[in-house]
Amino acid sequence: MNSYLEISRLTKLYGTTRALEDVNLRVERGNVLALLGPNGAGKSTLFGCLLGLTRRTSGNILFQGQPFTDAARARFGYVAERVSLYPQRTVAENATFFVRLKGQPVAEVEQQLERVGLQHARNRQVRQLSKGMLQRLGLAIALCGRPELLVLDEPFNGLDPALLDTLQSILCEENERGATLLISTHTMSAVEPLATHVAILLQGRLAASGTIQELRAKHGEGDSLEAIYHRIARQQHETEGVFA
Amino acid sequence: MDAAAEKNTFRDIGSFRQVSIIAAKDFSDRFRSGWVIACVLVWLGAIGLTSFFGMLQIGQIGMQGYQRTVISLLNLVQYVVPLLGLLLGYDLVVSEKEEQTLRMIVAGGISRTRLLLGKFLGGCLTLAVPLTLGFAVAGAVIGLAARDNGFGPFLKLALSGLGLGILFLGLGLMISTFSRTRVQALVLALLTWCLAVFVFDLIVLGILVSTRSAAAAQEIEFVCDATHVNPAADLHSAYNNVADEPARAVAAGTTTSMAWLAMNPVDLFRAMNLPAQTGIRVSALTAALAVALWLAFPLGASAWRFNRTDL
Repeated sequence: MNSYLEISRLTKLYGTTRALEDVNLRVERGNVLALLGPNGAGKSTLFGCLLGLTRRTSGNILFQGQPFTDAARARFGYVAERVSLYPQRTVAENATFFVRLKGQPVAEVEQQLERVGLQHARNRQVRQLSKGMLQRLGLAIALCGRPELLVLDEPFNGLDPALLDTLQSILCEENERGATLLISTHTMSAVEPLATHVAILLQGRLAASGTIQELRAKHGEGDSLEAIYHRIARQQHETEGVFA
Repeated sequence: MDAAAEKNTFRDIGSFRQVSIIAAKDFSDRFRSGWVIACVLVWLGAIGLTSFFGMLQIGQIGMQGYQRTVISLLNLVQYVVPLLGLLLGYDLVVSEKEEQTLRMIVAGGISRTRLLLGKFLGGCLTLAVPLTLGFAVAGAVIGLAARDNGFGPFLKLALSGLGLGILFLGLGLMISTFSRTRVQALVLALLTWCLAVFVFDLIVLGILVSTRSAAAAQEIEFVCDATHVNPAADLHSAYNNVADEPARAVAAGTTTSMAWLAMNPVDLFRAMNLPAQTGIRVSALTAALAVALWLAFPLGASAWRFNRTDL
């Protein structure tokens, strides 16, 4: 039976630099995958390949057993690490533009703005928003249309505790609704309560993957996700000199 | 997502809807920035002033009829409209790539070709609205003031001028997709403008003179008439003295000369709009073929490049 999302032998070269090398990953429907790795490990490149932003050098990405299409991507929600919108347009105009482009009902914009706590700022120009508000707007846009796959690139960066809590609650609700979540992050304590699966990328290669329980059983019973990650990274360093 | 919503999504995605959303957004951005209004005013002023002072070079002043205005406007249109097209086109893609908004758009499930088409159509709209308004209002004023009903040449100038702008918008879009930064795109756009408006004609004449100087006298005169080398004053003089100088007209362009002209949209535009006194005839087939190629080449190259670009 086909996996919901299947990445096989994915390689991406930038000139002679290997951003991704032979990455194999399977994600089942309803999973919450935490993609961990240091800066430059290839997390954003992996998401870029998935979302059609980056051309893969080789390998395959299958969605429900079929090659990715642009129409399939319209069923995804994406929150970029740096949410880039049109600064001279208002919050509502930006959201409406992206939602219409995806063919989703515009009426949902207000509902999602309210959900992320941006209803009061709907007529404010995006250039007047703080970084936290911009992140929330990015999330509201991604949530419109009840996406079946949510891709979040470093969503917890620079969030205050209240906002972090709100984001975790929303992601929990989305997962309970049936959405599959892919979250890349350095903030492992934030993703740990949500994640069902973990994948660790080190220098473009998949160093470990599995459920949190599987990783704990293999790399340290009772340890936090962060402790497991550091242990795996250290082992990789010792065996292959990854950080040399 | 329920089945009905899913079906609706796919129907919308598969239609022209996304293209029109992108085009409308791009036009709306330019409209809000004041670009469209400014362009309308500048264009209106330029046409009005050119019509009024266009014959200053031959010692006359006053509102001219359509045909005279066309002669006066030729230089203005051939210099300004390609520049407008390039300035609109050069940052259609590269600026959004730099700002990373293209990532948001592409991640939303729009095909890159459709995105590019939307950008191009948005640019066409942004160019067409001020040019059309400018030509229409100025044309009406000229008709009333000069009591002239023969607006055919003026209409031809307006339509071919708009076509010229769209061709250069396509070139600007191509530059935008091939450039890494906005500054690089701007420099390339300005170089393209200089090449098309100034350098190309000199190169052609240089080649004609150096390769076939003895046999090419008539061709050189023909090409000079069709390019900026022959200033507006000469054309006005030719218009005045047509009865005395029938022999000045070049009977028919040779295939070689036509080919040279078709290689540069600016020269083709000029050749199409030159009055009958110069004897230059550009066949509809030549014009249509050249325009199709000049549109297909940059749009095709842009799509090829953009589909291979990492955002």
